[in-house]
Amino acid sequence: MTSPIATAPEPLTEPLIPPSTHRYADVIHRLEAGGSMLPDTPENLMQIIGIYKAYAVPMDFYWRDLLYIAERVFLDPLPAFKYFPSQEYLDRPNSYAGDDSKLRIWRGTATAHPELLAFMAKGETTNMPKLLHHLWHDRINMEFAEACMDAMFWHQGMGGRFYDYLECDAYKANADKAIKAYFKGNPLMLGLYALFPEMFLEQVRKMSYYANLGLFWEVMAPVFFEMSDIYDEGGFKGVPDAMDFLVNGIFAVAGRPIYHHVFIGGECFEIIPKSEGFTWLYEAALPYVEAVFYRTAPFRGTKSYNAQAGQVPSEQADFHYGILYADVFPVGSAGIPPTLLMQDMLHFLPPYLTELYAKHKRGEGDILNQLGVTFQRSMYNVTSAVIQALRCALLYPLDDADPEHLMANRRFFEAQMDRFLRPEARLPQIQTQDYR
Amino acid sequence: MPSFVLVLLLVFPLFGMGLLQLVPADRLRWVQRLAASSAAGPLVLALGCWRLPPADLHLSWLPKLGLRLDLGLDGLSLPLVVLTALITVFAILSAPADQSRPRLFFALMLATNLGVVGGLLARNALLFLLAFELVLIPITLLVAIWGGEKRAGAAVRFLLYSAVSGLALLAAVLAFAWFNPAGPAFGFDELHNAQFPPAARRWILALLLLAFGLKLPVVPLHGWQPFTYSQAPTPVVMLLAGAVSKLGAYGLLRFGVGFLPDIWAAWSPWIAAAGAISAVYGALNAIAQSDIRRLMAFSSLGHMGLLVLGLSAATPLSLQGAVAQMLAHGMIVALLFACVGLIERKTGTTAIPELSGLMNPLRGLPFTMAMLLLALMAAAGIPGLAGFPAELLVFEGSWSTFPRATLVSLIASGFTAVYAIRLFNRVGFGRLDNDRADWSSTSWGERAPAMALTLLVIAAGLWPTALTGWSEAESTDLALRSQPFLSRTGAQTPASAGSSLVAVTLPSASELRTS
Repeated sequence: MTSPIATAPEPLTEPLIPPSTHRYADVIHRLEAGGSMLPDTPENLMQIIGIYKAYAVPMDFYWRDLLYIAERVFLDPLPAFKYFPSQEYLDRPNSYAGDDSKLRIWRGTATAHPELLAFMAKGETTNMPKLLHHLWHDRINMEFAEACMDAMFWHQGMGGRFYDYLECDAYKANADKAIKAYFKGNPLMLGLYALFPEMFLEQVRKMSYYANLGLFWEVMAPVFFEMSDIYDEGGFKGVPDAMDFLVNGIFAVAGRPIYHHVFIGGECFEIIPKSEGFTWLYEAALPYVEAVFYRTAPFRGTKSYNAQAGQVPSEQADFHYGILYADVFPVGSAGIPPTLLMQDMLHFLPPYLTELYAKHKRGEGDILNQLGVTFQRSMYNVTSAVIQALRCALLYPLDDADPEHLMANRRFFEAQMDRFLRPEARLPQIQTQDYR
Repeated sequence: MPSFVLVLLLVFPLFGMGLLQLVPADRLRWVQRLAASSAAGPLVLALGCWRLPPADLHLSWLPKLGLRLDLGLDGLSLPLVVLTALITVFAILSAPADQSRPRLFFALMLATNLGVVGGLLARNALLFLLAFELVLIPITLLVAIWGGEKRAGAAVRFLLYSAVSGLALLAAVLAFAWFNPAGPAFGFDELHNAQFPPAARRWILALLLLAFGLKLPVVPLHGWQPFTYSQAPTPVVMLLAGAVSKLGAYGLLRFGVGFLPDIWAAWSPWIAAAGAISAVYGALNAIAQSDIRRLMAFSSLGHMGLLVLGLSAATPLSLQGAVAQMLAHGMIVALLFACVGLIERKTGTTAIPELSGLMNPLRGLPFTMAMLLLALMAAAGIPGLAGFPAELLVFEGSWSTFPRATLVSLIASGFTAVYAIRLFNRVGFGRLDNDRADWSSTSWGERAPAMALTLLVIAAGLWPTALTGWSEAESTDLALRSQPFLSRTGAQTPASAGSSLVAVTLPSASELRTS
């Protein structure tokens, strides 16, 4: 992979453009120098890489199960076992890892990560049947993954053509075929379908978003694994290096097709065929960042909002409940998706992070909070990578000699930082190490 | 049990106070344990007295003054002695491990315990007066030395109010002696049988109401309470609200209802009105407070109002309810302040606007808040917890005599739920301030006193006889009015009708006196 990011310009005696007067001028100058929103400190690097690794293992489960649900469980009216992906899906080779992959991002195996399999077998408790692990909640929790999918599905209209396609006749015809095939020999469900076709169609659309998110995370898991391996070998010199790796990764897999296939009775129904040309960057990655990092919806259990009192924005675009704004402190409340994600990551923390957390705040006692804050830092870095990638795709190089081009870049960065002006944004907090 | 056990109840804290001073400076961590042991000794003894009632003790002390060491336990004093010992132990254990000047602090706590237990054991008005006055000194010092920012003002105000209370009691006790036609005597038995002139009776009761009304306190004599409760160290407030204030209630019951029944009965509508006003005033003020300690001070005032209502009605049931209320309130208020103490120790404040989100599972104080919630529920009279049987007995007992005052107090009791929910909603729920929430969680050692009190509050709620059974016989003896619907079913009181356990486990007054 070649780096589309230019190296940071040498400090000039005479800058080509005046300094920014934005509230986050320091961050903007750092971005203009090829840096990340997250300050470049050794501890930040350690935190984000460690958490990428801890995130990637459950993510390896998330993407497999999301595809399993989209492709196999599909419209099962009682999907009691949707969190039990079949062996076929656990063995399904990742398209970006393993010897047979066309584009190998991670040097490891293409099947499910060994740590994941070990955890699925034993969990926090002991070896027992899958069902008992599931009922005891000693498992990888899919609730967070589904909350992310719901956010993408619900917000829609965030660029790309994916959602519009779900409304078109071709999609409806494909979905109709799949629905009829799935409920073949089931007069009750077919009767209901005849009565309420839109309800079934909406469920299929949801399944298409399961597939979308599953295909998105299929890429991210090996990226994070590789970053962890590089760090362990002493490969990254700072936070910008980690960000650059992400930017390069984004461009390398930008064209990966996004599709939705369903397998019914050994036959493949292409509800969204690959030939439609939906690609990873525009139909999955960007909507994902917008929906999950910025917007989402208030997670149940974290805080109550009173919509009548104007505490919830009237425009969906103004929603600001994503990880970049999240108050991580309510993490720990039982059953809420953020807590479940932190719990999932807790099982796979590298030892250096466990040691770090033990030294701060309440040590073991609030480790879920501490790793939540780390996760927030790391997602600011991922968002920085996306912002840099967009700047790279749409605007000018950072070392451009034309002041007007630099001003265009400046305006772009300032517009991005404007989104963090609202008081909930955690950008100011992550500038220091005190926020844990 | 031999009667010298009664002296041991006083010797333990006295001996403990001396022993604490001998602890070397490099072994100060022993002080708290030693103090707690000195307070736990009487607790064990008092529980022993419950099973094996000791005979009264009569020792001559200063015969010329009529001062005798007359000690005794009956169904009114025994439960309060147990309560005082219990609260003292938990208050001592609630103090922080790094308590400053521990030898003096814990010695003064034990001195307070000595005074309260002395007052409860006394079977002689002069001895009671001495003990009553003794309490004043350690509490004033505890507030003045270890209190909050305005400790000097709080201590002075407490001292002034208590001095007036003490002087009023002194005057009343002297009047008891001077106006006794049978000649000066201070013994409870003599006072019980004395025939005072009617005018003297009125004056004496007025003085007693002033003395004990200040101690409880009750509106309009409560001026010292919110200030002192907000400034005193939490263990001291636990002792003050949980045990010391009960001395006032006990005094009203023993001296007012016991020795001046006719005037008490005549004035009881006004006393009931004061009780009802206290209940409403306390509850409404509690709703308006912006500091947890002050909120609880007014809450306490409201509960004292219910107690006074029960005393004023003076039916067997209401008196039993009043004693039960003393016990229940003692435990609940101690638990409330134990929780507040933990919150203050961790967050550094008790200001309600500065606190929120303490229920937060990882960074808040969820365990402490759970106990606080339970204590607030108990204070609000939720069934299954200690506050419910006590309040129910008071309301049921007073209803037939003072229906309007009872109704007003019932409404006040409803307000209790308002401030309880309001407090919990503000402090427990909402967002935990990320910038401030940087405290350690409570350790099991810190939680232990509050946990023990929590268990007691639950146990008393599930087994209300623990609150009501002690005083059954005395309440019936002291009652000035009959309980209409009880009289129809014969001489049985509800407690005895409902539970043979009472008879099995708790001594009656006659047993205590005769053995």
